[in-house]
Amino acid sequence: MLAEQIFAYAILGLGSGALFAGTGLGVVLSYRGSGVINLATGAIAMLSGYCYWALATGEFGVTFATPLAVVLTLLFSVVLGVAFELGVVRPLRRQPPLAKLVATLGVLLSAQAAIVLAFGDTAHPQPSILPGGVVTLFGVTIPDYDIWMAAIVLAVTLLLAAGYRWTRFGLGTRAAAENEAYATLFGLSPNRYSMGNTVLMALAMGLVGLLAASINEVDPITLVLYIVPALAAAMFGRLTGFTTTYVAGLVIGMAESVLVFLGGQSWFPTSNGGPLPGVDELLVLVVLVVATFFRAGKIPSRGDIVERRLPRAPRPVAPLRTAAIFVPIAAVAMWALPFGFREGLITSCIFAISLLSLVVVTGYLGQLSLVQLGLAGVAGFLVSHLFTNFGIGFPWAAIVGVLAAAALGVGFGFPALRVRGVQLAVVTLAATVALETFWFSNGTWGAGVLGAPVPAPSLFGFSFGTNASFHGLGGGEPSPLFGWFCLIVLTVVALLVANLRRSRLGQQMLAVRANERAAAASGVNVRNVKLTGFGIAAGIAGVCGVLLSYSYGSITASSFSALIAVALVAFVYITGITSVPGGIFGGVIYVGGLFAYALLDWFGLQGNWLNLAVGFLVVMSLVSRPEGGATFLFYGKRPSLWPRASKDPQGKMPAGGVVNDEGEQQMERSLAPVEVEVPS
Amino acid sequence: MTAALEAVGISVSFGAVRALQDVDLAVDQGKLVGLIGPNGAGKTTFVDAITGFVQASGSVRLEGREISSLPPHRRSHLGLARTWQTIELFDDLTVRENLAVAGGRPSLPSSFAEIVFGRQPRAERLAEEVLGLLDLEGIAEEMPSDLSQGRRKLVGIARALAGKPSLLLLDEPAAGLDTNESRDLGRRLRRIVDGGLPTLLIDHDMGLVLGICDEIYVLDFGKLIARGTPEEVRRHPDVLAAYLGKSAAEVEPGASKVGAAWAAVAEGAAEQ
Ligand SMILES: Nc1ncnc2c1ncn2[C@@H]1O[C@H](COP(=O)(O)OP(=O)(O)O)[C@@H](O)[C@H]1O
Ligand SMILES: [Mg+2]
Repeated sequence: MLAEQIFAYAILGLGSGALFAGTGLGVVLSYRGSGVINLATGAIAMLSGYCYWALATGEFGVTFATPLAVVLTLLFSVVLGVAFELGVVRPLRRQPPLAKLVATLGVLLSAQAAIVLAFGDTAHPQPSILPGGVVTLFGVTIPDYDIWMAAIVLAVTLLLAAGYRWTRFGLGTRAAAENEAYATLFGLSPNRYSMGNTVLMALAMGLVGLLAASINEVDPITLVLYIVPALAAAMFGRLTGFTTTYVAGLVIGMAESVLVFLGGQSWFPTSNGGPLPGVDELLVLVVLVVATFFRAGKIPSRGDIVERRLPRAPRPVAPLRTAAIFVPIAAVAMWALPFGFREGLITSCIFAISLLSLVVVTGYLGQLSLVQLGLAGVAGFLVSHLFTNFGIGFPWAAIVGVLAAAALGVGFGFPALRVRGVQLAVVTLAATVALETFWFSNGTWGAGVLGAPVPAPSLFGFSFGTNASFHGLGGGEPSPLFGWFCLIVLTVVALLVANLRRSRLGQQMLAVRANERAAAASGVNVRNVKLTGFGIAAGIAGVCGVLLSYSYGSITASSFSALIAVALVAFVYITGITSVPGGIFGGVIYVGGLFAYALLDWFGLQGNWLNLAVGFLVVMSLVSRPEGGATFLFYGKRPSLWPRASKDPQGKMPAGGVVNDEGEQQMERSLAPVEVEVPS
Repeated sequence: MTAALEAVGISVSFGAVRALQDVDLAVDQGKLVGLIGPNGAGKTTFVDAITGFVQASGSVRLEGREISSLPPHRRSHLGLARTWQTIELFDDLTVRENLAVAGGRPSLPSSFAEIVFGRQPRAERLAEEVLGLLDLEGIAEEMPSDLSQGRRKLVGIARALAGKPSLLLLDEPAAGLDTNESRDLGRRLRRIVDGGLPTLLIDHDMGLVLGICDEIYVLDFGKLIARGTPEEVRRHPDVLAAYLGKSAAEVEPGASKVGAAWAAVAEGAAEQ
């Protein structure tokens, strides 16, 4: 009986498993075609899904028959693919993997914002493209959608695998990926192969969007976040294997479905009466971590010609003087501005702190971590729970929250030692999703759906929370007292981050970022420097989380969602990921911040317009001003902000015969973990 | 007096390739020792083995202390410094900062003072001194990517010196330099060694190596085939065989330079 039920649920999971697998195929196609770790595949599937829904339900006034809607949707996805290739992949061809990944985050953000602006964020039912019947397998009756979906994606997988092995196109793609310079020499055009693969990717995503109609309503989030299990599957396939990716995706889908069944069992851990939430996201995280550790080492490195690396992290000249100019202006503004603008300014200050945490971990240390917002959430939730469960308030709760975030950051840092660059982004994205669903949404130790209360901060009976009675010139809440509090904290954090860049620890971080082996040879303990950097960045993120919880007066899981984490990275890349001004101005333009409020107040433009623009701006600024607008404004006087490509001939083309893989260029390219420490 | 470096029985394999087999090499205090050999002989691998970047068997003693089980940064703390064939500067840092990174570990209190009170790191002053030693004073604030190849090579050496090492390993410091620059480099190296820093020099410029080294080791196919004074090595029959047994095409890069040098060596031997 039990076995039959588990079997039935496993079969029911084939549908979502097929969608994970299909999205994973998109990830593989992108990686094989252009070396991009494409976090926007789910978003592209979502766009196609909306296209199908709009055509099939008559959203635009004309209702198309299903077969016609399917064909048009696939055409639409081809158009999307061409646009993605020409607008994102090709301009960023020579950029390092990290920049490409950030660009796909921008695309994800834009796609999502566009859909929300056009159709709102509610889910809509849509007609299935598959015939709906039931089959009976081993005495269990199940809808056959799921089996159909798995079969169709399997067919696509086998076609792709065969095509890559035996067709000229497949061989050419493989040659171009292995060594772009040689492929060009032999008259192959890497651009053409890249285009072909991107279009294939978009077609596969179109198919995912269509198939999803059979089991999901169309909405702007579900398919977008399928990227996380899809990445886990693709990592199992070493980002190159179609069939492994397919199998892994399918298994993840079936396991999640079985977990749903187990959740209904009496022994399953519960929270507030319901089954423990987030277990499936935790499962995906575990799969991803396992895949990264045991499979990713053998991901074939790519022989792309990479010209640029992370932008330079300029040395702050006189941070105190800069602060002396800007802080008083902001302080007066806090007092004088009307409450809406004041709230925007406060939000800007708070998010600027979280962006400064990214400046440390990515700008200085060179590791793209998407879990910083999750760490902020940890601190925020601790502040809430220390109060509700133990009656502990400011400042002790805040201090504990920050220290806990820092400790957790160091904890995350340990696995990060073995995982570099792009892979870290992938794993930390999954960690953010898992933290949000498993911890923050949890009714017992998170906030459930309603949110958990956070007391206003006060010291010696003097409250300076958002609801303090002092309202300043602008009037209304939040109180300028809270604004000043946030401003002071931001100033302190910003000065520390600026000083860090000038300190020897900061120099060691940049040395590690530039070249781990040379750093180790120069006496830098790479492991300790990384862990310290992760800890400092996590502590800063914790500060952001504490302020965020005070500013809302309560805390909810949705404030720390993966999509917000993604948006933060996109914003700070536009203003500058490598400098303190970059972080601060990123906060200024961030959704909900000062600039966004001005847009809303003066032009009636919602935050999603900003998100929409930011996706485009990220790609543009990566191409034209990679150091970021604010970094350029503050430090742009030098003739060359960008480290030019190494002129070393050995870096460019392998010298025939002798394998001599020294050099950072190799390290940047290769996804394989490179260990510096020698086993004793 | 204990030798600055004593490597005994160093072996390294990459899969089936035995890159080094049972190599013994010593650098005595105050000596400039050369390590030469055709391309692919295992010279870089030897430096990697000594500094801890490849897994190697055998014993490595730095001033009498066994270091073969230590990770690279610990070896560096004990006084081992190296340069890289491919230079490997920290491209995100100025020349001065490149030297500062190598100039010693920041202690916890000093890091705290630098970050919290904004104190300037002291190590940067030390950089000045080292840059002077290599006539690089003018470029302290430059970014490495803005410098010529020759200058970058020198900065690499300066960075190795900045940690006040007790042993210096140089992997092809003269590659890519012209004859004049190479001769200048030789003079500076001699000055540095005579100032008390024992050094192992790997280079393809035979004029340089034969001209300034006190003692020379010759590697071929991962095995030590000769050892002695420049004069002895010049005449060693195995060395000649190792080099002349190859066609010119196999000797790369800078084939002409190496080829010419060894042609000269061969002629010298033939005249004897
Ligand atoms: N990381 C590596 N993996 C595999 N083989 C290597 C590696 N590094 C060097 N080798 C091989 O070891 C041998 C010695 O190389 P190397 O030490 O670079 O020679 P040299 O510096 O004398 O030119 C060569 O045959 C080379 O192909
Ligand atoms: Mg070499």
